[in-house]
Amino acid sequence: MRLLALLLRRLAWFVPTLLGLLAITFVISRVVPADPVALVAGETATPAQVEALRRQLGFDRPLPVQFVTYVARLARGDMGTSLYTMRPIADDLATRLPATLELTLVAMVVSVVVGIPLGVVAALWRNSVLDHAVRVVTVSGLAIASFWLGIMLQLLFAMRLGWTPLNGRLAGFPPRGVTGLFLIDALITWDWTAFGAALAHLALPAATLAFPALATLVRFTRAGVLDVMQSNFVLYERAMGMPHSVIVWKYILRSALTSTVTQIGLLFGILLAGAVVTETVFDWPGIGTYAVNSIIRSDYNGVMGFTVWAGAIFIVVNLLVDVAHTLVDPRERTT
Amino acid sequence: MNHGCARLAVIVLAAMVIATAAPALAETRFVFANESPYDTLDPHAVFDVGRVAVRLNLYDGLYRWLDNPPVLHPWLAESHTVSADGLTYTFKLRQGVKFHDAAEVTAEDVRYSTERIFAGKKGAAALLSTMVAPGSTKALDRYTVQFTLGKPAAIFLAVVPEIHVVNSALLKKHEKDGDWGGAWLVSNDAGSGSYMLARYDPAIGFIARRFAGHFMRWGPRYIDEVEFRHVKEDNTRVLGMIKGDYQGTGGYLPIDQVKRLREAPNVKVIEQESMRIMMFQVNNQRPPLNDVNVRRAISYAFDYDGFNKDILSGSVERNPVPIPNNLWGVPRDVKGYTYDLEKAKQELAKAETKVDRPLTVGYLTGFSQTEQAATVMANGLRKIGIDTKIVSELWPAMVERMKKPETSPDLVVYWISTYYADPNNWIGEMFHSGQWGTFKASSFYKNPRVDELLDVALRSTDRKVREKAYQDAARILVDEAAGVWIYNTKYFGPWAKTLEGIRFSPIGNGQEMRWVYYTK
Repeated sequence: MRLLALLLRRLAWFVPTLLGLLAITFVISRVVPADPVALVAGETATPAQVEALRRQLGFDRPLPVQFVTYVARLARGDMGTSLYTMRPIADDLATRLPATLELTLVAMVVSVVVGIPLGVVAALWRNSVLDHAVRVVTVSGLAIASFWLGIMLQLLFAMRLGWTPLNGRLAGFPPRGVTGLFLIDALITWDWTAFGAALAHLALPAATLAFPALATLVRFTRAGVLDVMQSNFVLYERAMGMPHSVIVWKYILRSALTSTVTQIGLLFGILLAGAVVTETVFDWPGIGTYAVNSIIRSDYNGVMGFTVWAGAIFIVVNLLVDVAHTLVDPRERTT
Repeated sequence: MNHGCARLAVIVLAAMVIATAAPALAETRFVFANESPYDTLDPHAVFDVGRVAVRLNLYDGLYRWLDNPPVLHPWLAESHTVSADGLTYTFKLRQGVKFHDAAEVTAEDVRYSTERIFAGKKGAAALLSTMVAPGSTKALDRYTVQFTLGKPAAIFLAVVPEIHVVNSALLKKHEKDGDWGGAWLVSNDAGSGSYMLARYDPAIGFIARRFAGHFMRWGPRYIDEVEFRHVKEDNTRVLGMIKGDYQGTGGYLPIDQVKRLREAPNVKVIEQESMRIMMFQVNNQRPPLNDVNVRRAISYAFDYDGFNKDILSGSVERNPVPIPNNLWGVPRDVKGYTYDLEKAKQELAKAETKVDRPLTVGYLTGFSQTEQAATVMANGLRKIGIDTKIVSELWPAMVERMKKPETSPDLVVYWISTYYADPNNWIGEMFHSGQWGTFKASSFYKNPRVDELLDVALRSTDRKVREKAYQDAARILVDEAAGVWIYNTKYFGPWAKTLEGIRFSPIGNGQEMRWVYYTK
């Protein structure tokens, strides 16, 4: 019941939160002293020609009218069309979503699968050589800029060793798949060559994206485990003669994971909403690069479309984090 | 690890090895890495260099610019005539030219394409509509099309290649809510060009196959399939060229990247003087820059050699006038300004308006070379006692600022590229007072004599008259230091060593692939 109430409460906040976000983004994108209409009209367009195009596109109307029109269209599922491509924003985002989703999922899986055990190990052998080595990794992960790491990985693995492709999702154009997630599509069609190619292309960008996320998870897991290890219930379980591995992986880790789960959710949201740098370095045709292009060119509808997407992702991810908290931590269900 | 996991890992590793060791590309396939995204395939929606490959390879126009210096060649048109008053241009089309869907290219398609440009108000619409009124173009018969100009415009023929002819019947079939087929054409092909669209993904780029039925006969060697991909990062494009993933990329890379490419065994760098002038637009209307002596002082305070030869390692050509060196209309006797601080101080002393405030020097965010130029300018001005404030803006924001003399920075540095190979593209559009409000005319220069000369050059169809008018106007502009012209860009086009036949033109940047082939 408590879980259901939480879900309903959060869903009730979804619309006003998104509206607030839309209003802020709308105002900011319009008050920035830039004129995308002049750019679209072309370098030789006179002021009169620019104004004619502005009228044609509806950008001459008062801002509140434009905003209401936009929200009304959005409610019908229409995110508008790009100023530059005249293609529906929803189509543009849908085209790029699988690329970002696949990259983010793989990066998150790597971060979680490697990061949590590393955090536990570092906590169990606190202040040992192993702990110090893990700390070097985590500090590096947080300190090294993604674009630098990406380029270094390209130079080493793609250029010098020739083990991985340099960039892109696949050499050439992708096969027309079912989900747009190349790994899944390859598995569905049992095409191991395509699976390998997709994995090879994912290796470097996923590693670049996973490294800082992994570092964060290691640090949170380590701190959580250390904290729980001091608890009375752990002392009691030890006194009862419970096997060490059971205490660590079943009881300590479960209690220690609450803050880590929050971080996983937030990291997932951040990565999904804009792995901008990694996508740019690796020429990854995802949402991040689309957002950058839209912002640079002040493509109003593109910026708004990305904001709706990013905002919705964060709201949903926060909701899922709360649900996960409730599932992981029994105290959340009883209080 | 259990056996199942181990087996899966082996399969995955084997698949990765197979994938990375995939066989080399077929000889007749070509991949170009482009810094701009191919976010639309509509040839009438854009008029830029970044997406020129779409227009040159998928579409044809009546005439086409080829080579360097660019020369107009009859393309879909066999010939044209101009009426004595210079107002009526009549083009005779080749017969039997086919679109990709086998329909014949007719005069009606040319008329439709022209009207479609006007209706969209994008791309070349602004330029064309200064000469031709919407609705005035006529298909006289199946193979004759006639344009009637509102007033004589010698540049009309130079702009004609931008009327990319689309298949009107096909577009009418896909028209929705009077959009001239716009929603469909952004992702599809309605052309007759040398290549026809095979795949398109706005997030990646496009693939096109050779159109064997193209009216221009194919040579014995050609490329069967071309792929144009968007690769945003300079470094990634360069590494991709070195690795052999790409066989061509844009020719305006930073000089350190060009050096890396020159050292790569599989890459050749084609060097050409292009037509892309880097210059400071000087806000001629705002005091103290409305004083000619202050402007001359500024022109003398920029270290041209330091910038061109040291910072840019001599990879550009000094261009002292507002017309590219390699185009007609340049007054060859004008040497322009040199870096001379003594002369700068003398000019400053002669000025009636004193420089009593810091000058704002603008550059474009994300374009490091403009930042370097702004810094060099600020350094020179500081040496003659002028304070500066350097400001940067993204391109859309800078365009907005440059609309009015009151909001435009005192000096802004950027490039003026080639949209059509006629001096009017530079000197006419930058310094005729009728152009105020466009970003090219952000110097807000006003001189009735220069206006008159530029009008003469624009009206006359006599090349000698035009040339003299441009030369005279350029002399006045240089004398009055209406802008600071720094260099003309050199194109350093990286191509695979095995490629031949590349025909560089400042308008197409060598991206028209019908001429290109592999030697082995």
